[in-house]
Amino acid sequence: MRKIILILLFAAVASFSPAMAAVDLDGFMQTLFGGRLDESNPTASEYTVAESRMQLRAEHFGDGGEFFGRLDFVYDGSLEPTYNWELREGYFKFRVGDDIDIKVGRQILTWGTGDLLFINDMFAKDYRSFFVGRDDQYLKAPQDAIRFEYYNPIGSWTLVWSPRFEPNRLPTGENLSFYNPMAGMFIGTGMGGEVPLPESKFENSEIALRLSRQVGNFNSSAYFYKGFYKNPTGMHAVDFPTGPDTIPYYPELNVFGASIRGMLMGGILWLEGGYYDSHDDPDNDNPLVPNSSIKGLFGFERQIAENLTANIQWQADMLTDYETYEMQQTMFGGYVRDEVNHLLTSRVTKLLNSELIQLSGFLFYSPSEEDMYARFSVTYNYTDEITLTTGGNIFDGKNPATDFGQFRLNDNIYAKMTYGF
Amino acid sequence: MKKLIAAFIVMLLASFTLAGSLFAEDAAEIMKKSHLAYYYSADDGVAEVKMTIVDKKGKERIREFTMLRLDESDGGAQKYYTYFRKPSDVSRLTFMVHKNPDATDARWIYVPAIDLVKPISADDKNSSFVGSDFSYEDVSGRHWSEDTHSVVKDSTIDGASVLVIKSIPLEPYKGFARKLTFVDQTSYLPLREEYYDKKDKLRRIFRAEKVEEIDGILTVTARSMQNVKKNRKSTIVFSSISYNQGLTSDLFSERYLKNPPRKFIK
Repeated sequence: MRKIILILLFAAVASFSPAMAAVDLDGFMQTLFGGRLDESNPTASEYTVAESRMQLRAEHFGDGGEFFGRLDFVYDGSLEPTYNWELREGYFKFRVGDDIDIKVGRQILTWGTGDLLFINDMFAKDYRSFFVGRDDQYLKAPQDAIRFEYYNPIGSWTLVWSPRFEPNRLPTGENLSFYNPMAGMFIGTGMGGEVPLPESKFENSEIALRLSRQVGNFNSSAYFYKGFYKNPTGMHAVDFPTGPDTIPYYPELNVFGASIRGMLMGGILWLEGGYYDSHDDPDNDNPLVPNSSIKGLFGFERQIAENLTANIQWQADMLTDYETYEMQQTMFGGYVRDEVNHLLTSRVTKLLNSELIQLSGFLFYSPSEEDMYARFSVTYNYTDEITLTTGGNIFDGKNPATDFGQFRLNDNIYAKMTYGF
Repeated sequence: MKKLIAAFIVMLLASFTLAGSLFAEDAAEIMKKSHLAYYYSADDGVAEVKMTIVDKKGKERIREFTMLRLDESDGGAQKYYTYFRKPSDVSRLTFMVHKNPDATDARWIYVPAIDLVKPISADDKNSSFVGSDFSYEDVSGRHWSEDTHSVVKDSTIDGASVLVIKSIPLEPYKGFARKLTFVDQTSYLPLREEYYDKKDKLRRIFRAEKVEEIDGILTVTARSMQNVKKNRKSTIVFSSISYNQGLTSDLFSERYLKNPPRKFIK
């Protein structure tokens, strides 16, 4: 029996080999080193990142559809040396009839209008990569999903179904520390711990829906998401043998939103809004679960001089039931945020030397939270194959319980070399 | 011998008359024909493009991409689609332009590694196209009605008779203060262009390096732009050109930006 299976396998491989010959293979090799600037950071390693990476990309297409795979192999030397691999993408894409595109498998997903601000984009992000200088593509964590796209005269409909919830990847305290308000301290021992995912069952799958339509110069979209907060922002009360305690979890969340983006005044303008319906706390009376909120975003980008592009964004985030929130937080002695949190961001990109050198800076600043996060980098395309990058990430915050304040010990600089093939 | 001289005189006279009639032709009309012959050949086109950028130290950069073009009307709106192949860090990236002679172009980029569709502010048509010495406008064309044209003289380039046409922008323009176009008298293709700045210094020289007949249409299959000031040169070589492939407007939409049409982009 085994022999028959082997022969069949062999025959299958042999019959596929002409097709195999047509698989395109490319990718890159990369070395990235980053070090913390703040000696008081309690992280286990002085390196925020110390890794060598090889990414292989394989692509094959025929009449029936196309396959794309992106596989990373990483040697991580920042703590105990480890070898890791990750399938970043591995999907099959095909068409049904004239109007339906389907993409099945592990994939990176993005939508919405914000520049590094996400209201309706509820796809998983990887802040562990984002904060240490990995390439932009690593901001997005892959998720296993099926994406249906249907095009009809009303607009383009996209449905993304992820059978298993995919959370954001947040600092764990190993290479990057964070502030734990419950413990009242910065965690840098890797004790951040794994937060249990919602149980693996059909009703816990994620659904993201978008309807998009071009209206004149503007692209308008409506969004819906059913799933969970991507960060473990909720707390469960649990009775441990040692006594009652709380553990973090991912509370249920629905998001309803809309956006519009288009050309105006020689630049690009975008507006986006969303209502975060905190499903586990419908009356906003549970202090262990985030309250519902409304978010709005305004952005504008334009070229302001030759090879110099800048944008500005303003995001406001308003709690729907601030009085209850304020009372709860005061009662628990926790950090009390403003009713409306304002966040301002700006990106400036300058290209030099015929676009071979790129200077980039991105600043997040919140006057309400009194915290900030600055990213900057210089990239030099030394040859078509070799790219050299250096940059840094600077965090600050008056209060350690704020979005960026919790990472304020993680200031770092990094250097990166990439060889593309 | 007498016959030969007679034939020579007849040819000479004929060429004078021809040149004369061309001289008589409105310079703007010639530039229009040239623009249409160069930027609007057939109704659509697909080509593989290899761009080589050589800097003053002789260092080479290579960009390879597939380009799709669709004309909505001759001399009017056009749509461009670019699928990048090389270098490796931009492979599979797609780029789309909706060119509208009466308004600002609309440009979008799609970065597949993060599944990101992004409109690009395209205020400056003069900015460099993928870091080369060609500007966006050199790739998609500056409408003839934006300049005033006059015939300077006739001349020859590699044995081909050309008319030299001077163009002055109607409104102050960063791209040039004065441009000379050497238009082939039979095909109307621009064989050479000289761009002069405000101080009347020669800044860039365009050359049609190779002209071939593709599907019965004379096409500049190799072209270069020499940047005199920066001492750099970019060369674009087209291969696998095909015209009238039946491209449709919907190919130039977000759907296909994200899902390259494999019928044309292998």
